[in-house]
Amino acid sequence: MTPAPTLAARGVSKSFFGNAVLREVSIALQPGRIHALLGENGAGKSTLINILSGALLPDAGAVEIDGRVFRGLNPRDAHRAGIAVVQQELGLTTQLSIAENIGIGALPRRYGLIDYRGLARRARAAMDLVGLNEDLATPVGDLPLGRRQMVEIARALFREPRVLILDEPTSSLSAHEVETLTALLDRLRAKGTAILYISHRLNEVMRLCQHVTVLKDGVVTADRPIEGVEAADLVRLMVGRDTGHLFPAWTPSADRDPIIQVSGLSSGVLRDIDMSIRRGEVLGIGGLVGQGQEDLLLSLYGALPASARTAEFNRQRNLPASVRRANALGLAYVPADRKREGLHLIHAIGWNLMLPSLARAFSLSLRDRSKERVLATALADRFAIKGDLTRQVRALSGGNQQKVALAKWTPAEPQVWLLNDPTRGVDVETKREIYALLRRLASEGKAIVLSSSDTPELVHLCDRVAVMREGRIVATIEREALSEGAIVAAAMGADPLRTAA
Amino acid sequence: MNAIESASLRLYWPAQRQRNRGAGGLLIVVAAFLALYAYLFPGLLSVGGVAKFAQSWLPLAMVSMAQAILMLAGGVSLAIGAMVSLGAVIAATTMAGPLGVAGGAALVMIAGLGVGAACGVIVVRLGLPAIVVTLAASFIVGGAALLILPRPGGTIPAWLSDLLAGDKPVAAWLVIAVVVFWKLYLATPLGLSLYAAGENPDAAYRAGVPVDAARILAYAVSGLLATCAGLFVAAKTGSGDPVIGEAFTLNSIAAAVLGGVGFLGGKGAMRGALAGSLLLSVMINVMYFLGFPPVAHYIAQGLIIIGAVALPEFSARRRAL
Repeated sequence: MTPAPTLAARGVSKSFFGNAVLREVSIALQPGRIHALLGENGAGKSTLINILSGALLPDAGAVEIDGRVFRGLNPRDAHRAGIAVVQQELGLTTQLSIAENIGIGALPRRYGLIDYRGLARRARAAMDLVGLNEDLATPVGDLPLGRRQMVEIARALFREPRVLILDEPTSSLSAHEVETLTALLDRLRAKGTAILYISHRLNEVMRLCQHVTVLKDGVVTADRPIEGVEAADLVRLMVGRDTGHLFPAWTPSADRDPIIQVSGLSSGVLRDIDMSIRRGEVLGIGGLVGQGQEDLLLSLYGALPASARTAEFNRQRNLPASVRRANALGLAYVPADRKREGLHLIHAIGWNLMLPSLARAFSLSLRDRSKERVLATALADRFAIKGDLTRQVRALSGGNQQKVALAKWTPAEPQVWLLNDPTRGVDVETKREIYALLRRLASEGKAIVLSSSDTPELVHLCDRVAVMREGRIVATIEREALSEGAIVAAAMGADPLRTAA
Repeated sequence: MNAIESASLRLYWPAQRQRNRGAGGLLIVVAAFLALYAYLFPGLLSVGGVAKFAQSWLPLAMVSMAQAILMLAGGVSLAIGAMVSLGAVIAATTMAGPLGVAGGAALVMIAGLGVGAACGVIVVRLGLPAIVVTLAASFIVGGAALLILPRPGGTIPAWLSDLLAGDKPVAAWLVIAVVVFWKLYLATPLGLSLYAAGENPDAAYRAGVPVDAARILAYAVSGLLATCAGLFVAAKTGSGDPVIGEAFTLNSIAAAVLGGVGFLGGKGAMRGALAGSLLLSVMINVMYFLGFPPVAHYIAQGLIIIGAVALPEFSARRRAL
């Protein structure tokens, strides 16, 4: 007989605007066990977490803590009961210090005031656990994304939780940070913490977890020990069928003429970058998180002020000085933070799809609504974007949102696609569609620049991978030499592996 | 600080220092204006001079903080001026009566806390935009002030006027008292939560921060500061005026913006708002001494605000290159 679960959901259902997101879902978190929660984006994982942590109330069913039923559970009650959540989206306060961020919501007090000394001591202890050695008083706004994620985790540990829920904690972490986290979770498990772990990275899940619950379209399709399960089985349970190979077959394109050549590019953290981008190739940009990958894409796109010794874009001299100029030169950029930079969330799907086309039209010409509708419908069909085009983009799942962010550029027929982590937080099926799209674009003679934190993606999809470290390209690895090991080694500076760019 | 404590565990003061980064430029400008003012008017450097200057500055300092606290919470108030008027008329109609000075002052504070909290409850609980709710409140509170005292009048006991606005620098001590009050407020869990609630209320709620309570309390404290500023204004003039606060609404926003308090919540610090209000006060005094016509004050004020907001942007862009 298993011990009573520390935290459990019993037959919970939840709908938003008449859409059933969860249907009679049950899950039980046992002490001393790392429990994986898998599912595509939109399968209901985030909703389930929000219900377990009191941020949402279920329409039906109940949440149990130590066998006791809680109705109307709110986040403060959940915290008091020892439930801590590391959210996927960062929720830190940039102006407050690391320590204040870690403690906020559970600040130790003395005579009604914050006990800063106690806070410092306990925050330091939590930071040590996750390997944060920054000064306690550093404002969180000064930290790069990966470190902020570690602050989020430290915030959860600060509460000494009995139940720790992590929603895709590794999506913005470097390889080294992932290792620290993995070791930490193993230690916590050994101490008897119940852990719920959500990740799109199956190999992480297979390595770390003992039990798995799979959600598909709001229904539990599997709830079993992870021993004896193959990764392919899990994928099948998530998508309901065999996905076959995630990556499309790689075939070199015929047209390999350079379309962009820059030398001595400097901007922000970028130092003296030499690179050439060819038609018909997917050029990967790898490296640890925050080594200047985004700045590189943005400066090519004319969105960051940059200088270069020489630059040639589509046979034009000079770097594009503005985004408009870059668009005119045939460049398109799809940002990593699609919610803030890539889409207008409260506007309709169709409107979002039309935006780049509207920007290219003559400023004062009248819009042709019926033509727009035809074009938007065609785009939605081609990219298999689900849902009524008049609905807000906000209502779509992450994967479908990303498809909108990609699809909206196709009417402009860009010659160069600059993609910043296009599969971050995207479900497996959408990933596969995006990969196929990228290879198809390459075979049509387009140039793709793919910055990614997902190393397998770089290995299987790219013709070449430029690895960045501290604002420089430290290695350019050709297809024949591509392997996860080679990329990671170059990213960490472990091996002076260089080939001609 | 405890001797056993290692340097790496120091938190409160280093965190304060970090939060006030970037206020340096503003402080230099303020110091330059103060030096110019002292050069033009050497009398500033006497006890009487400090007293008079603090008296002209204190109300603006208080309303700037009242505004800054709401902007930190992700809101804004258009009712600050009306609240100042309300404080002034309550003080002028009650303090000479049976309630006495203590009773009148208590009433002023209760009115500020109560009206502020009411605005806060409406904004936070009903999820209405702060700018609309406080605009409505400015009409209601302004109307109430006119009901209480239809035309300038009423009295403030002479000894209180002498104490607060006489030759002794009591107002300067009051500035310090308000600063200490603010520091204590921000050193409470609910006060510090203001930053989290202002920048990202959803995330703060999920982290277990009592977001609603923190924001409603901010509205109440803001109201308290505004009506107390009204009390001081009434004491300075010796009587009440139901429309005396009007100019404070926009000036409080101007001072907070000058001090680097952001409109989107969670950005800025009290030190900035205070320095902003000081800059405005000194600037007006300096221009008065230089014989500028009042119209010029307004234009110069506008230009300085635009400049103060634009300068950090420009320097940030320069750094990025």
